[in-house]
Amino acid sequence: MTETTILAAYGLLVLLTILLQVLGSLQTLSMGYLMSARDEPREVGRMTARMNRALTNSITAMALFAPAILLLVVQGKTTSTTLLVAQLFLVARIIYLPVYALGVPAIRTLAWLVGFAATAVLYLLAL
Amino acid sequence: MSTELTVLTLAALLQVVQFLLYAVPANREVGPGYTMSPRDRAPSRPMSDQTARLGRAFDNHFQGLILFTIAVGVIEMSGQNSGFTGLCAWIYLAARVAYIPAYAKGLRPGRSAIWSAGFLATTLMLLAALV
Repeated sequence: MTETTILAAYGLLVLLTILLQVLGSLQTLSMGYLMSARDEPREVGRMTARMNRALTNSITAMALFAPAILLLVVQGKTTSTTLLVAQLFLVARIIYLPVYALGVPAIRTLAWLVGFAATAVLYLLAL
Repeated sequence: MSTELTVLTLAALLQVVQFLLYAVPANREVGPGYTMSPRDRAPSRPMSDQTARLGRAFDNHFQGLILFTIAVGVIEMSGQNSGFTGLCAWIYLAARVAYIPAYAKGLRPGRSAIWSAGFLATTLMLLAALV
């Protein structure tokens, strides 16, 4: 397993989040509305609204995580430490999803914080 | 430059085009006075349905593009380029180009089907990197 593998796995996790968000939307919104141009906004259920927010957050995290991995790989600065930190990021982001969906307060923040700190460490190691 | 990187460059340029497709009519409709303000309130003049759709298509492509960038980056960094990953990249780009008029015209279920093609192409590229 390399940093690149972790990045691919995280990409798949975000794709899964999009899928869950679409499936969740089907609970309150009809397929007809989802396939329409959605000109009038509609309310979604609580769980789906959480998935929407989790997705927005995951995209932001990805926009920061991907360049860090790219910087490490391109410069050949990958070490066992960077791999471990990248794995930590992935685990934190995997935990983040169900914890957000279920509305567990403190653990969600903690998982987010671990992912955020891991990304920051990767940038420091890339310097 | 590999097929995947060429397509990635084109996909990023497509986002520049999408910005213009949205920003030009949006400025005409709500007025530059509003768009240049800090936008604390909703605009007094409404945006047309088609312009709002182009705005949503633009937002959606940011999500698609970041995942596609990861897929291309991972394939390039691990040197796993193949005819298959190149084909996936072209399918992604074709789907994202077709998505814009499909959204603007409100095609149903065409827009969702086109979106799914891009989503699937990205997924397959990421899976190809792992196997």
